[in-house]
Amino acid sequence: MAQSQSQSQTSGGGGADAFAGYRPLPDTYDELYVPSGPDGLGRPRANMSKLLDPLIRLGAGELAHRAELAHLALLNQGVTFSVYSDSAGVEKVFPMCPIPRIITASEWDTLERGLIQRTRALELFLADIYGEQAILANPKIPTDIILGSDAYLPQLRGIDPPGGVRVHVGGIDLIRDGKGTFRVLEDNLRCPSGVSYVLENRIVTKRVFPELARRCRVRGVDTYPTRLADALRSVAPGPDHECLSVVLTPGVYNSAYFEHSFLARMMGVMLVEAADLFVDDDKVFAKTTQGPKRVHAIYRRTDEAFLDPEVFRPDSMLGIPGIMRAYAKGNVALANAPGNGIADDKAIYPLVPEFIRYYLDEEPILEQVSTYLCARPDDLAYVLDHLDQLVVKMVDQAGGYGMLMGPQASKAERDEYAVRLRAEPRKFIAQPLIELSTTPTWIPERGRVEPRRIDLRPYVVSSPEGPWVLCGGLTRVALVEGSYVVNSSQGGGSKDTWVLEDDDPDEPEAGGTLIEEMIEC
Amino acid sequence: MLISRVADHCFWFGRYVERAESTARTLGSTRETMLGAERAAPISWLPMIIVAGERERFAELIGEARAEDGEIVQNYMVWDLRTLSSLHATIRAARDNARAIRDHLSIEAWEQINGVYLWMKSTDASAEWERDRHGFYGRIRRGMLLLTGIMRSTMLRDDALEFVRLGSVLERANQTARILDVHHHAITRERPHVVLDTAMWLGLLRACAGFQPFMRRNRGRVTGEGVAEFLVLESRFPRSIRYSLASARQRVEGIRAPDGPGERSQQHLAALRGWLLERGPELLAEGQIHELITHVVDEVHACASDISSDFLGG
Repeated sequence: MAQSQSQSQTSGGGGADAFAGYRPLPDTYDELYVPSGPDGLGRPRANMSKLLDPLIRLGAGELAHRAELAHLALLNQGVTFSVYSDSAGVEKVFPMCPIPRIITASEWDTLERGLIQRTRALELFLADIYGEQAILANPKIPTDIILGSDAYLPQLRGIDPPGGVRVHVGGIDLIRDGKGTFRVLEDNLRCPSGVSYVLENRIVTKRVFPELARRCRVRGVDTYPTRLADALRSVAPGPDHECLSVVLTPGVYNSAYFEHSFLARMMGVMLVEAADLFVDDDKVFAKTTQGPKRVHAIYRRTDEAFLDPEVFRPDSMLGIPGIMRAYAKGNVALANAPGNGIADDKAIYPLVPEFIRYYLDEEPILEQVSTYLCARPDDLAYVLDHLDQLVVKMVDQAGGYGMLMGPQASKAERDEYAVRLRAEPRKFIAQPLIELSTTPTWIPERGRVEPRRIDLRPYVVSSPEGPWVLCGGLTRVALVEGSYVVNSSQGGGSKDTWVLEDDDPDEPEAGGTLIEEMIEC
Repeated sequence: MLISRVADHCFWFGRYVERAESTARTLGSTRETMLGAERAAPISWLPMIIVAGERERFAELIGEARAEDGEIVQNYMVWDLRTLSSLHATIRAARDNARAIRDHLSIEAWEQINGVYLWMKSTDASAEWERDRHGFYGRIRRGMLLLTGIMRSTMLRDDALEFVRLGSVLERANQTARILDVHHHAITRERPHVVLDTAMWLGLLRACAGFQPFMRRNRGRVTGEGVAEFLVLESRFPRSIRYSLASARQRVEGIRAPDGPGERSQQHLAALRGWLLERGPELLAEGQIHELITHVVDEVHACASDISSDFLGG
């Protein structure tokens, strides 16, 4: 089957054109196509047609073959996640659409500056709120919403993290609205996941689309593990050469275990579980084959509620008793810092532009989405009146769980949700439905390319020298037709995200890093 | 230096990989021996079950009388997931351990074990099982040998690899001992039936990948005592008990930090080797193979316990 397809390709043209009949959705920004003509049929954007050309020429049969190759590559590499709702131990491949998502150099330039600005402000806010709390004197800041949040952990106040960094890894989710403007949708400052897919997707794309990769100069992503390892070392107490960093995972049954193992492998550091660590004399040690070894920096991929039973969850059998004492004494760096949830809380999100003005004295570079805080009576009244136009989210839920998509929900669903809203308004926020941008996506069961909605999660790594942004990030795609929900747990997939080296992809020989150079891993 | 839990996964990864290779080889060679067997009476596959330590469970799940049916025994030893000794379960256990130590395995090593595991679950494997039994066992055997070779040629010479090899050589000593034990009656019988027993000995050598090495060492002279001595004491045959134990001792020496834990394992392995060199030839000459093997199997088990408490947090 695969054989005959590649033969037909070499004989010129892989049969049906997979892009024929591509129609961008109404009122939606499509990143590669614009509608042309009265029937809504699309044509490639002028600056994208050269990039798209080799893809379009492949034809549907060959595209199907390449998509299958991509799936096989991920399966063989074990790039899988575990699904909670399924029986234990079921691993699934996070589906990857082989057609890359493309961001131009000038678009990226703005995003990168905006992400650095936002991360700096959030970092300063955390230092302040767990320190002096000077910002609470600002009349524009609602003190009760901050200090009353479950995500604010007063027991951490006065603890200075080693190296002064709290957001070692930030994942800031972006979407594009109907006009194509990038907007921040939410911040993830606790332990954002997904970066392993960015690196693996790039390897797969190079393997399955060598002709496309050769043509475009795409900025590399493979320095991420080095950057992260450096950031951990830079905040670890003690001399550099003695620094022992570890990745802390909940274990092989965690849905993101592949990523934990991947990062440990790529950084060359030990992968540990909580039971492998213990605290003695307010220092953290690993139980090794050569006896106890001091640990200086922990990239923790465990929920902070299970970090230290002495502090957070006394009933928890998990965790490392005493680790918070070691942290408070500056004997171990924890990445990310516990307590960061107060800065990425959905109810705090509307305040971030104000943080940027307050701490940096700058205007925000990135737009965000207007948000109604149901804790405010006026906002609640508006939300209840306009449920059919709004997306309502629970402040303490992630992953697309517990939300109401007002415009798509039935009247009964909205009425039921309204009861919950009135009962506990503090738990909810609401936003207008944004027509997330689309990009051409391979739909295997239809054998053609159709528009599907996407978002973007860039990754920001911070050391005492400041933030650094990984070029691109994770593009998630809602594979289900008409869906706005991109989460892997809800039928989402991913795409390789290409940031172009420059905006004229016409001259592939003009220097820069050619993407065809393989990543060694 | 390794996290003890990780070292434990490495150790068991090595054991399961070795066990899968050995089980595939033993099943294949037993089958070939049966096909060529000259005896008229039905031959039992029971020894195969006993080598795997599965006699009781097989009797309970399948029934001991059915051990005469080679298809039933092979089905049980290849596909039955109710036992950890089946090839399918062993490969799955190897892959589960590999997944826990992915950051220590080379990417090629991971792809190899994951590839064999995915194949084993696929319809390709069951189709090959039906169509070409010889090819089926060969594929698993080669898959595991390739994995061992990949690890040797792509991985850092550090403790992770040493623990994998330690698990592998201990499992090998154990497998060779058990295979020899279930056939000891053929070697110690007073009046051997020359043709039949020679076939049995050769099958025994094949089950340990020792046919050609034995022939070279003994210039074609096949006796029961010769086969037993070769499998127990031959210092240059990598699957002999002596060689495997010597290798285990080297691994432990390499792993042990000066003043670090491991003294007990090291001494225990040295003591077993000393016993083997001293009492081994004597016991073999007296035809006391079963006594010798029983001691070796017990002591290998005890050494594994020492290794576990010295290094693996057990």
